[in-house]
Amino acid sequence: MYIGERVEGRNNRLVVAGAGTYVDDVRPEGCLVLAILRSPHPHARIRRIDVTAAEGRDDVELVLTGESLLAAGIAIPPSGSYANFTPRMTVKHPLAVGKVRYVGEPVAAVVAHDLVGARAALDALMVDYEVLPSVGNALLALEPGAPRVEDEWPDNVMVEYPFEKGDPAAVLGATEPSRIRRGTLVCNRIASTPLEGRGLVADYDPHRRYLTCWASTQSPHILRTLLAGALDLPDSSIRVIQPNVGGAFGGKIPMFPEDIVTAHAAIVLKRPVKWIEQRHEYLPAGGHSRDVRCDYEVAFAADGRITALTTELIADIGAQSTFLGWLMAIVSAGCIPGSYKVDDVRVRLRCVVSNRGPWQAYRGYGKEVSAFFLERILDEVADAVGRPRDEVRERNFLTPDVFPYEQPSGWITDSGDYSGTLAKVKDLIGWEGFAARKAAARAGGRRLGIGIGHELTPEGSSRPDSLLSGTDSATVKMSPHGDVTVLTGVTSPGTGNETGIAQIVADCLGASLDRVRVVQGDTELCPHGNGNYSSRSLTFGGSSAHLAALVVHDKIRRVGASMLDVAPGEVRLDGHRVIAPSGAEVGFGAVAATIYRSPHARHMEGVEPGLEVTRTFKMDNVHHQPEKDGRYNQYPTWSFSTAACIVEVDEETGVVRIEKFALVHDSGMVVNPLLAEAQLHGAITQGIGASLYEEIRYDDAGLPQNLTLREYTLPGMRESVDIVLGHQSTPSPFTMMGMKGVGESGISAPAPAIASAIEDALSDLGVRLTEVPFTPARVWAAIQEAR
Amino acid sequence: MIDIELTLNGRPRRLAVDPRESLVDALRERARLTGAHVGCRTASCGACTVELDGNTVKSCCVLAAEADGRAVRTVENGAEPGELDDVQVAFAEAQGMQCGYCTPGMVVSVRNLLDRIADPDDDEITRGLAGNLCRCTGYVNILKAVRLVRDRRLGRV
Repeated sequence: MYIGERVEGRNNRLVVAGAGTYVDDVRPEGCLVLAILRSPHPHARIRRIDVTAAEGRDDVELVLTGESLLAAGIAIPPSGSYANFTPRMTVKHPLAVGKVRYVGEPVAAVVAHDLVGARAALDALMVDYEVLPSVGNALLALEPGAPRVEDEWPDNVMVEYPFEKGDPAAVLGATEPSRIRRGTLVCNRIASTPLEGRGLVADYDPHRRYLTCWASTQSPHILRTLLAGALDLPDSSIRVIQPNVGGAFGGKIPMFPEDIVTAHAAIVLKRPVKWIEQRHEYLPAGGHSRDVRCDYEVAFAADGRITALTTELIADIGAQSTFLGWLMAIVSAGCIPGSYKVDDVRVRLRCVVSNRGPWQAYRGYGKEVSAFFLERILDEVADAVGRPRDEVRERNFLTPDVFPYEQPSGWITDSGDYSGTLAKVKDLIGWEGFAARKAAARAGGRRLGIGIGHELTPEGSSRPDSLLSGTDSATVKMSPHGDVTVLTGVTSPGTGNETGIAQIVADCLGASLDRVRVVQGDTELCPHGNGNYSSRSLTFGGSSAHLAALVVHDKIRRVGASMLDVAPGEVRLDGHRVIAPSGAEVGFGAVAATIYRSPHARHMEGVEPGLEVTRTFKMDNVHHQPEKDGRYNQYPTWSFSTAACIVEVDEETGVVRIEKFALVHDSGMVVNPLLAEAQLHGAITQGIGASLYEEIRYDDAGLPQNLTLREYTLPGMRESVDIVLGHQSTPSPFTMMGMKGVGESGISAPAPAIASAIEDALSDLGVRLTEVPFTPARVWAAIQEAR
Repeated sequence: MIDIELTLNGRPRRLAVDPRESLVDALRERARLTGAHVGCRTASCGACTVELDGNTVKSCCVLAAEADGRAVRTVENGAEPGELDDVQVAFAEAQGMQCGYCTPGMVVSVRNLLDRIADPDDDEITRGLAGNLCRCTGYVNILKAVRLVRDRRLGRV
């Protein structure tokens, strides 16, 4: 068995040599370089763009503007439909037409012989802007008479998504005031920031009318379909190849305006064109997440049981782009109250456009926002009733017997044992006995605190009427020598799912792992698939590969048994051999040779020839027909984790140091613990970054304040903490082998756990933290306020 | 364009470079050594780390012209394709990476660290890698990888 083994990532030895091929390493002969001129203004009308000087430069091959793309018929009309809400949409332009709506919005593009020349040509472009009044955040955008980001909308609200269960107003009205808390919580804006930026190389062959794109993307097939739509080409005229990807985290789910511009330039010039995003472009314009405010009202019983909860969410989704990130806010709303049983709930979300940059998917996909809000509210309730924070969570958790459980949003949670991960993480962190440690430290002048945070991570997003609709495909084929190739529609941004899928297929076939090769990320080689997002690569990709491998397995079994002169039911497949009860065996190579070389011979009687099988998998507990069965569910598997941490707070400076961090996750059956742990380490580190160090800041006019990694500070090794992991397995009843997704687990729980620990360290002062990240300035200010 | 002469991974090399060009671009575009990666161009992330005269530098913030007459060592280090040194093997075994974009810079920093300090403790390892960011996998396995290669060199494992 390979499943459950700690198998090293298959690309490790390639990439550690520096021999990986990332998109910037792709160099077709004669490749030109494209660079983008971006808006310096949050909001401005474009009066005129003078391209004469740029076009006159010797090394410039092409200059494109919004008007020239429009003249070429390129614009992205609204598409897709949404259950439960109706967003206002706009026609999107890859290069701004008429006006710019955020700093960093693409305005024009130049194609030159190299990057130095392209950047010099950008300086030669002259844009005449009329600067307009701007709205630098959602609250300003909601003010009566605020400047409108989209001229044709009546206001700046893109979508409103309310839902209710029970009668929270009645419960709140009947609750005595001491059992009610109201407040505001804020999750500030962050950016996924993979170390490799976005990028695309496009090469057009006018003879074959065929466009080849190498893209740092998560979803080659989706990018192909979207590009074909944007450029009015047949899908079959485009090949998208995903080379090595240098991290993605949702930030490379297609499609981006620059993809369209680069591909169009290659078609116009009939030469290869490369666009590689630079960090100063990414930070304001590559897409952000979070930036949600929550005004809440919670009623509770004396024992800390929550009796009613209302939340008003305002998501600042920035200006709209081709990105689909704004849907993260829907997920934030839909995951309230998540792991907690509250019978009377109202949630109202407003997605508000502003002159900030657009949102783009990022790990957590909105679930981290609801986790932060819910856990902060749970802590506040615990403090209000004077009960321990763990006990109040226990009091409110959904219990394992209620699943499948319909959330107030209508989504259906598959399974869970939340008390289990809480109990385990308390052991790992040393919950019992910490009070004595804290007191001893305090006596010595140090402030230690302990906190917990729980997260719910629905995965495998399956949206109706979209290319992210919740299926994936795989081909398993065995060659005449008995070697196995798996082609998948899911892709890896470097996370290692190719290793896990190889383990699944090898086990299913009884094959040797080293004779199973996995090929991903090429629309001409691989079956149609949605790629990588929502922690779906094993649940969907692994399951479809498993289905295909089962068919190959069956054929090898039947032919091998015939070759051994026994019944198919008597043999077993192991170690790349078919083995009879007597111990007689025949290798897969010999069986495969028989299937290919002797299709008309005795062993192939009644057996379909060939050893190449493609299967597509969808999950049974996705429900998209509410008119038929009253159910709507887009998330088939619901992983969860509980984190606990110990922090030290420097009262004088507000600096927080994490002494120990523990997380117990439950993602069902784990295929490769080594890679799952590596994922969790990474997710937790990102979660800690977003809790203490990372924040995309804007001023009130919408000018971004972080243009380099010197202002947007990612955690480095000095900020690294001792991470202790624990596992629990509540297998999903709906997936193959009980797998759930792991990719997003661990990013949501750190912020509430750290907040809880900071407050504990300052418990005698009664400090409340309501806004993440907890920078030294915010913690210090909270201490001063409490004093 | 100007000509520079340098010792690149132990061998003399002449490159014609743009005077405005950074060392990382010259290595990647002119010398076709693509192991050093560009992540920020502000000397923040360390994906472009190489050795210049025995010191680690962020090659995105060094002009190619500055390498004239000096020795540059990259992650490739003149190795045959498919050959890995002990630092690289330890990173692979410890799963000290996911996407691998930062890894070549990490490897260069670890080689340099172990050249200077044969038996670094965790604090010294942390300082030695403080200039290299990893966004995928955190630093737990990276620390394990460095301890592993250190202990192997010292015959402890």
